[in-house]
Amino acid sequence: MASVCIHNLHRLLLPLSDNYSSLRFTDSSILSMAMALTSSSSIFRCPRFHVSPLRRTPRSPRPPSFFSTIASSQTSEKAGKGGEFTGRVGFLGLGIMGSPMALNLLKAGCDVTVWNRTKSKCDHLIDAGARYEPSPADVAASCNVTFAMLADPESAIDVACGTNGAVKGMGPGKGYVDVSTVDGTTSKLISKQIKDTGALFLEAPVSGSKKPAEDGQLIFLTAGDESLFQTVASLLDIMGKSKFYLGEVGNGAAMKLVVNMIMGSMMASFSEGILLSEKVGVDPNVLVEVVSQGAISAPMFAVKGPSMVKASYPTAFPLKHQQKDLRLALRLAESVSQPIPIAAATNELYKVAKSYGLSDLDFSAVIEALRAKLKQSE
Amino acid sequence: MEVGFLGLGIMGKAMAVNLLRNGFSVTVWNRTLSKCQELVAQGASVGETPAAVVNKCKYTIAMLSDPSAALSVVFDKDGVLEQICTGKGYVDMSTVDADTSSKISKAITSKGGYFLEAPVSGSKKPAEDGQLVILAAGEKALYEDMVPAFNVLGKKSFFLGEVGNGAKMKLVVNMIMGSMMNALSEGLCLADKSGLSQQTLLDVLELGAIANPMFKLKGPAMIQNSYPPAFPLKHQQKDMRLALALGDENAVSMPIAAASNEAFKKARSLGLGDLDFSAVHEVVKAAKDSDSA
Repeated sequence: MASVCIHNLHRLLLPLSDNYSSLRFTDSSILSMAMALTSSSSIFRCPRFHVSPLRRTPRSPRPPSFFSTIASSQTSEKAGKGGEFTGRVGFLGLGIMGSPMALNLLKAGCDVTVWNRTKSKCDHLIDAGARYEPSPADVAASCNVTFAMLADPESAIDVACGTNGAVKGMGPGKGYVDVSTVDGTTSKLISKQIKDTGALFLEAPVSGSKKPAEDGQLIFLTAGDESLFQTVASLLDIMGKSKFYLGEVGNGAAMKLVVNMIMGSMMASFSEGILLSEKVGVDPNVLVEVVSQGAISAPMFAVKGPSMVKASYPTAFPLKHQQKDLRLALRLAESVSQPIPIAAATNELYKVAKSYGLSDLDFSAVIEALRAKLKQSE
Repeated sequence: MEVGFLGLGIMGKAMAVNLLRNGFSVTVWNRTLSKCQELVAQGASVGETPAAVVNKCKYTIAMLSDPSAALSVVFDKDGVLEQICTGKGYVDMSTVDADTSSKISKAITSKGGYFLEAPVSGSKKPAEDGQLVILAAGEKALYEDMVPAFNVLGKKSFFLGEVGNGAKMKLVVNMIMGSMMNALSEGLCLADKSGLSQQTLLDVLELGAIANPMFKLKGPAMIQNSYPPAFPLKHQQKDMRLALALGDENAVSMPIAAASNEAFKKARSLGLGDLDFSAVHEVVKAAKDSDSA
């Protein structure tokens, strides 16, 4: 029954052009019926693409096929990794993170449509096969699922809910996955606006910076609509190495902030250690090596340590974003009455670093804030 | 090879056992002599005093809990100084400040002996497993002579130059560790207060750039409010105090370490000094319980 309905829908849509907004506006009733009769995940199959049932062969790029039948199945409903997403994916925000994430989706054969505030940043993705739309609303309208990777709460809200924001292109049958790192309040605001259109929402901030993004090794900390999580599972698996579903909107945001709070404090303490060893005549390179041998050995120290000793801070995770995360973590802690003195002291140090103009350097540049303090005290 | 071993606490006992198991002849001493009996059962001899041990052995290792104990075994009556002489080596593996180490070094060498400071990174389990990281400094020739023993006791050893460098390196490492423990504790508390699963937080941490053995080992026990002492909190606080003093002497700003030290001090004042240093978690948590909003 379900497959017949979708098949009919497919026939109806065949003469239509490439225009998904017309699909949405003129055939919403058909879409609603189809939605009611099928699993919500299968709605995310673009009728023009061939859908394969659950299979375990490696993915390869497939050309679009105009005359295929849609298989009614619950492939990606529960399957997660095995069920493939074959709809159109939107990607808003092509910064340090968004760009490699979108590229990984393209390389895996996904149909990706991009937008970025500065259009030129889209060029290399367009060269790699991405489509382009001139606004978040247009991207959302033309895609089944739209991802957003913005720098901070303000941008995330603006892109979702602002003029020509994604909300304007969302509707039943669509999904919005915000992978920006924001506070819970912002996430809930965006969630409400998205869901008011009938679409599904998933917050999905990531743990991991530039290199893990390039290598498809991110960790997704998701919360919100679980069915959307299941639907996009295969996409998350392209971009990442693991994914968590944490329940209601706000939980993913909170988890990310807690993780980055610990990370910021660790980096600040490590900075103190490097500086202290320099000042007392102990080789900081040896400190980095000693740390790597013991109980506190962490990949971050091994990666950042050598460059910090040389006063080099190539940006993988901008300092201003680390400070933003600490600020949001402090706000979260205040909201639940949890004193966090180490994080507070760490935040102060990052603020000093920002005041020295180090915002766009890697967050490991916080050591300079201590060095600069050192100069003033002499 | 024959060595003397002074101090059979959490670390010393495990280290002496390792040496015995690997074919070393070991003569032990401990302030509370009864603690030697377990080692005797494993083949050790007993020295009645530090001086007696040094008299018997060419090389003597010491593993004491703090600067005052380290000074005491050297300078007190029946101490090391009474028997140290040319041809004998003294290896102090206690964690002390550079000044204490320097004082001991001068006293030993003025009597013709060789001195090596060699504090370790690693606590009870690495000591038992022979997986310590040894941070040696002082007399290079003595370091070379001790390599066979170091290879048994640890997985890696460093020679860091002049006396004081080993002590400083150890303090810097433990300063970072103390702050990291506080950061983990704050994270666990914030997660819990925000309605997140603390175990999930640990799982997420384990996958990422800040994964480290300490979080993995201590985290689960902290969630259970369990703090079996592998590294006593009072010693961690001692190390933070010494690290801050080092920074103080050199005008190095260390706000994170200072904040961490406050938490450890509070924990000590609550009587948690003999628990594992992860018991600082009780202080971070207690702040939550006292809020009556």
